Amino acid sequence: MYEAPRFAIEIASAVMYFILLRYMIKPYGLTREERYLGLPLGFGFLGVAETILAIGIIYPINGLGTVSVVMRTFAFVFLAFTYYFSKKPSKNSRFIWVIILSAIIVGLTTWFLWLFSAPLLALGITAGFGIFLRILALVCLAYICVHTLRSHLKSLDPTTIWIPLGFIMLSVSQYSQLIRAADENYLYGVAFVGGLTARLIALAVFLYVAYRTFYRATKRGGIDEADRS
Amino acid sequence: MKRIARRDKLKIYGDLLSILNEETGKDKVVLTRVQVRLNVPFDRLKTYITELGGLGLIEDENSLKLTEKGKQYLKEYESVLDFMKRMGLAYQ
Repeated sequence: MYEAPRFAIEIASAVMYFILLRYMIKPYGLTREERYLGLPLGFGFLGVAETILAIGIIYPINGLGTVSVVMRTFAFVFLAFTYYFSKKPSKNSRFIWVIILSAIIVGLTTWFLWLFSAPLLALGITAGFGIFLRILALVCLAYICVHTLRSHLKSLDPTTIWIPLGFIMLSVSQYSQLIRAADENYLYGVAFVGGLTARLIALAVFLYVAYRTFYRATKRGGIDEADRS
Repeated sequence: MKRIARRDKLKIYGDLLSILNEETGKDKVVLTRVQVRLNVPFDRLKTYITELGGLGLIEDENSLKLTEKGKQYLKEYESVLDFMKRMGLAYQ
């Protein structure tokens, strides 16, 4: 019933995630610090997850939804770790971050190898595991929301309020997915429409922030002074 | 006593370019003033200036000033730092 609009929204989301990826790679490109690598990885994985979901709507192949959920959860884990390590720029924390990054990548690769080598076994387990993954993603998002809100409260700069709002909307979207995964019949329509709308709003907020930062910069130091008023 | 965070080379380069860009508007760039604003020893300031000159980001004709490449780099640097701040990822 909802296939056509859902496909359009998934594709639009994937495109927006990939556009955002271009901006999210800039902090790593400038600093060359591994702790910022989770940002492009996270948004890239989210883009891939939405693309897989869109393919799954057109070609309902068994297991595509699971792959998408796994990728989305890993994306939020990447983002959460990026925020966690962003405040600790010591040699030790860099070392731990590299270990965690490697562990996440190894975990993800192992998951996919397992999924494709023993698909029946993997799918049987992931059916129940899906809810856990969604809760894990929600926990990661909650951490990011708290982190970005605290960072905003520290500086009290009006330009920094948008990103926490974006992540809160992504959390709402993720929460609605959890409701849908837990009970497909209960409030299906509300959770479906609400979740997709919240995600689109979140992505629009992220794109707005990127646009304001990189394209509306004034001559004075490249920072948009109008934003601060 | 308030602890001052250590700056890495990238941050020092960025700060130096930013200060030089502001000082260029004045009559002449006075290195002592730059040194005070940047908060580094004078000998290290000279090293940074030589390094930035080697990278083609600043030039020293009559007075120190940013090259076009330097101005572009500074703009990108400040944009990315601003983006990181907005994302809640303060660069330390």
